[in-house]
Amino acid sequence: MSQIEAANPLAAGGLQFERRRKFRRAMRQTLLMANRNKLGAFGVILVIFILGIALFAPWIQRYDDLEQFQTANPRFNPTANPLDIAQDPDIGAPFTLDRWENPLSSKHWLGTDSYGRDIYARVISGARLAVIIGVGASIFAVITGTLVGLISGYFAGKLDLFTQRVVDAIQAFPGLVLLMLIVSVMDQPSLFLTVLALGFLGFAVSVRIVRSSVLTVSQSAFVEAARSYGAGDWRIMMRHVLPNVLASVLIVFSISIGAYILAEASLSFLGLGPADKTTWGKMVNSGRVALDLHPWESVISGSAITLAVLGFNLAGDAIRDELDPRLRGR
Amino acid sequence: MTNYIIRRLLLNVLVLWLVATMVFLGTHALPSDFAQKRIASTMTGASQTEAIELARKELGLDKPLWRQYLSFMGELSRGDLGHSYESKLSTWTEVGRRVTTTLELGIMTLLISFAISIPIGIISAVKQNTWIDYLLRGVAILGVAMPVFVVAIFLSLAVVKFDLFQIDVLGRPHFWTDPVKAFQLYIVPAIAGGIAGGAGIMRILRSQMLEVMRQDYIRTARSKGLRDDSVWIRHALKNAMLPVITVMGLTISGLVGGQIILETMFNIDGMGRFLFARLNLRDFPPFQGTVIIICFVLVTVNLIVDIIYAWLDPRIRLT
Repeated sequence: MSQIEAANPLAAGGLQFERRRKFRRAMRQTLLMANRNKLGAFGVILVIFILGIALFAPWIQRYDDLEQFQTANPRFNPTANPLDIAQDPDIGAPFTLDRWENPLSSKHWLGTDSYGRDIYARVISGARLAVIIGVGASIFAVITGTLVGLISGYFAGKLDLFTQRVVDAIQAFPGLVLLMLIVSVMDQPSLFLTVLALGFLGFAVSVRIVRSSVLTVSQSAFVEAARSYGAGDWRIMMRHVLPNVLASVLIVFSISIGAYILAEASLSFLGLGPADKTTWGKMVNSGRVALDLHPWESVISGSAITLAVLGFNLAGDAIRDELDPRLRGR
Repeated sequence: MTNYIIRRLLLNVLVLWLVATMVFLGTHALPSDFAQKRIASTMTGASQTEAIELARKELGLDKPLWRQYLSFMGELSRGDLGHSYESKLSTWTEVGRRVTTTLELGIMTLLISFAISIPIGIISAVKQNTWIDYLLRGVAILGVAMPVFVVAIFLSLAVVKFDLFQIDVLGRPHFWTDPVKAFQLYIVPAIAGGIAGGAGIMRILRSQMLEVMRQDYIRTARSKGLRDDSVWIRHALKNAMLPVITVMGLTISGLVGGQIILETMFNIDGMGRFLFARLNLRDFPPFQGTVIIICFVLVTVNLIVDIIYAWLDPRIRLT
């Protein structure tokens, strides 16, 4: 291709023109879509915003999210004996923590928490964690759920019956109880375990949706045709059934990210979140100790959760509406 | 119909057995047990390991897993949900003490979620694509996205800010002993949980109302001169409520999670907080028992809902 372009500059220009036209058409279609579904467009913008924050968190965080700010104590008396300190505790420590600094100062944009940590830095690094957990859990749920749903729906019969009962049992559990139980496998739950637990919960949902799509696709004529020319089960599943249920897979993937972020926030709020990581749920909880005097930490992190879940929910709904018009407006 | 009910009952027994097995395996897969959790905090050194072994023997935790499973299942089949390692009381007693508290909060939450979602769902549907529809839908979408504890925090901030009443009521009153105090204690968590549950109901009700409003019988009702509100309530709402009833099981299941969070948050001694505390202590029998009771209730609610649905809509019975 490069040879032709070099030999004929006109053709190269034509190619560029063609490319630009394609780009313009794509842009126009996107704008039309956004105009048709304004709420969805808002959601997508929110998601892009949150993904951007998550991606660039280390550069826009300003401080480390675990750094405890402190100031030198002017009244510190290094020669004070324990008796003096007992009488006047202020002179005992060389530094004091900058606890509960007010928001909107130039040093701490959103103030500090009860340990003197910068709330802005913590909210930003919390965004990164929320995205990792939400997207990670969704990827796990979709991959395992699609595989099991595909096999269960394609082969049907006894295997399908058994899978469905297991899915029933998982869904009979109230989600939070199951999550609590799984993350308790470690005394200090790791990030990976949290993702795994959420993904396991989502696995049941994915199996159910993918399976029902597979059931209809498996009945169609092209699967029958493939079978008639001797294609194996694996080939039919991968080459003929899977591509036709990809829409459902994508819907399952995008629609539940918000729910995972919400569930993780609940776990963190209860003190079962990933250890040693800054999450929004933990922040809401730690802000509760002085809610009446310093509500900022809880309010800011609570709003961050709401905004992120809102964005992912709206974007997920929009993707579902585009891919499956039957479900529109539900 | 009888066949349908019997088939569903058998299926539910199977699901409950799977649930019991899962919760048994889940709790026994945990790396630490009650003996460790309790004794590690009081003793150190060689005497500690000895004491842990002794406690394990006493609680029956030293037996092989399959023996423990068999005795667990045997007790379960006789309706015995075991005894708490800590208080030595039976799970039924422990749950019985707290069930009224949980029901008070749960029923209030459910009532509030209906009180919020049904009028909003109707208004949003009949005023489709007006500013009020957009506003109400916006509120519903926000309600789905907000965790219950965040709603609870905003509500309690508002209560404190405007000095409405004391949220943290001492003595944990019941509605029949001190209704005013009980109302003050439960109202904030109930609204928080009600918004989360109601937002989902509202979205389904709205889309169903829109669907129903397009039907011929609505046009007939209108053409025979019925008033608008009469058409909406008596003809449209009745038919739109059916799918809402079917998601009741899901709503109540979601309520359980909210109940755990809210009871823990507001220090209300109900089943949710009990469940959470038992898990943290690795006090397995009451934890397993409470989970099984909750799942039993959920599965039964689902069954009743489905039976009512099949009774109301004969087309379902055939599938």
